[in-house]
Amino acid sequence: MGTVHHHLAGESAFEPMIQIDMEIKAFVSAWKHCDYVSTYMARMVSRNRSDSVRHSNLFSSAFNELLEVAFRTRHADGELACRVSRHGATDRIELTFPCVPEERQFYEQAVSLVAGSEVRERYLNSVSGDLAPSREVVLLELAMDYNATLRVEEADGDAIKLVVDLPLEGLH
Amino acid sequence: MNPYDLLPRFKAQYDANSQEFSISGVVRPQAIDELGPSIALLRDAIGRVRGVLYVNVRRLTQMNNAAFHAFSRIILDACRARPDLKFIVITSSVVGWTSRKFGRLSGIEPNITVEEYDSEFYPGQGFLEEGGFVPILRTQTKMTWRHERAILPRHGMRPGIVMADICCGIGDFAVLVQKEFQPSRIVALDHSRSSLAYARNVAAEFDIKGIEYTYGDASEMLLEENQFDLVTCRHSLQVFNKPELILRELFRICKPGGRVYITNEKNSHCLGEPRADSIQWTYNEVAKLWAHFQMDIELGPKSKRYLTEAGLEDIRVESFMVTNHDGDPQDFADVIAAWENVYAGEMATKRGDTPAFIRRFRQGFQDHIFAALHSKGYAGWPIWVASGRKPL
Ligand SMILES: C[S@@+](CC[C@H](N)C(=O)[O-])C[C@H]1O[C@@H](n2cnc3c(N)ncnc32)[C@H](O)[C@@H]1O
Repeated sequence: MGTVHHHLAGESAFEPMIQIDMEIKAFVSAWKHCDYVSTYMARMVSRNRSDSVRHSNLFSSAFNELLEVAFRTRHADGELACRVSRHGATDRIELTFPCVPEERQFYEQAVSLVAGSEVRERYLNSVSGDLAPSREVVLLELAMDYNATLRVEEADGDAIKLVVDLPLEGLH
Repeated sequence: MNPYDLLPRFKAQYDANSQEFSISGVVRPQAIDELGPSIALLRDAIGRVRGVLYVNVRRLTQMNNAAFHAFSRIILDACRARPDLKFIVITSSVVGWTSRKFGRLSGIEPNITVEEYDSEFYPGQGFLEEGGFVPILRTQTKMTWRHERAILPRHGMRPGIVMADICCGIGDFAVLVQKEFQPSRIVALDHSRSSLAYARNVAAEFDIKGIEYTYGDASEMLLEENQFDLVTCRHSLQVFNKPELILRELFRICKPGGRVYITNEKNSHCLGEPRADSIQWTYNEVAKLWAHFQMDIELGPKSKRYLTEAGLEDIRVESFMVTNHDGDPQDFADVIAAWENVYAGEMATKRGDTPAFIRRFRQGFQDHIFAALHSKGYAGWPIWVASGRKPL
């Protein structure tokens, strides 16, 4: 299966809010960077949400998982770029990071599973299973618990771009 | 060294008396070994309990999937190994993701139930939390503001500060502060969704920007520590059966060198002329009625003690009297009518008071209104203001 392209109507309606770029080498030099970056970005983008504290908590929670995914990349060179944009109640995270070809394939597959019909079953199976959670589960969980929609986009070089739409403002 | 590295990010505890394992804070390990002691504690707890193990995650603000999986693994295994054992996971309605995430566990093992902790657990609070009090709060705030706007600068209020108003109700105080003092940021927190909805509407309608209304539980807030120059909590310590738990949180989120500011009443000191005796009798009864529901409407003069015991210093206490002479006497009368409505209505009925008692009880409020509206009358409602500084 190839890279999935969606050209949603009103795509350009997403307003950029904040972007952070760093060398992937620098990023993976300390685990706490995931927590730092997710907490910081969450705080910045949540100020003008109807409940800033709650939004920030949810956003950080979801974003941190994505950063932890990027942290485990097997490709040691290139840039990590996190961009957040907003359209109404939805925040879009675009996370671009270097990865090896097998990883790219893996993400494409994982994302297509998330769009599939057995998300719940797969997720529950993996929680009750013995293995430590895979990167796939992390993505499933975003769909389950945060009503996220995910897709993979082409990125330059040996990189991948995960695009995750989080409708946190409407989440109860 | 970065202070971040020194802070314990999470805490796990086991209380044998209540058979409760609790984990709180931010749990984002890279590898599961980092959780070693907590996991061991949970295993050990499971080994000891009979019947039910409570797993309290109310103060768990973040947990990554790696940690979630590790803890759930142990609980799920225990369910299989010990069918006699039940697990009750207690989440908080304030932390948006916990109920959803932990809720999945009960779909896997029927012996796991997930309960969302709710404010109903506070005695008597239902009377004040939803709906009925909204109009009173508006008028009350208008009346107290006349005094407080002059008092606040003596307690750390000044332009540009970062402040939080905890138990903000319908948010009028935050709006007034915003207009008068222009702090750089205001976070206003309450546990009543209807009050917050009201507050947000008001802000939208009048195009008021910069107040962040947030749903939360004052006794366990998601707000980070050492953030605010001024933390206010007005007329609210008196509605909790354990005000010291709230104070601990107010202290926590206050910056070192910042101040915690509280206002409270001593309702038995409400007064009026004419008909002073009847009025006094009724307000003495109000104090007893609140006490019956484990709330202390007499807290005002105890402020210094509470603030001192919370660890604050440089404590300043003052009091003022809202009277029928301050502004429109009808406002005063409206507030009293609303009190009568709630105290002699719902609360007295709930306590099981006799019709004769309720009649006399109502009379005192009516007499207070009479005094307020009387051309030669005087009606007063005293308020205690106190603040203390968090040590550097
Ligand atoms: C007597 S009112 C005072 C409201 C406001 N500060 C004022 O002066 O008008 C008490 C407020 O405390 C809120 N409250 C009660 N329990 C709470 C809790 N656990 N956490 C946060 N707020 C709570 C109620 O919803 C209510 O708005």
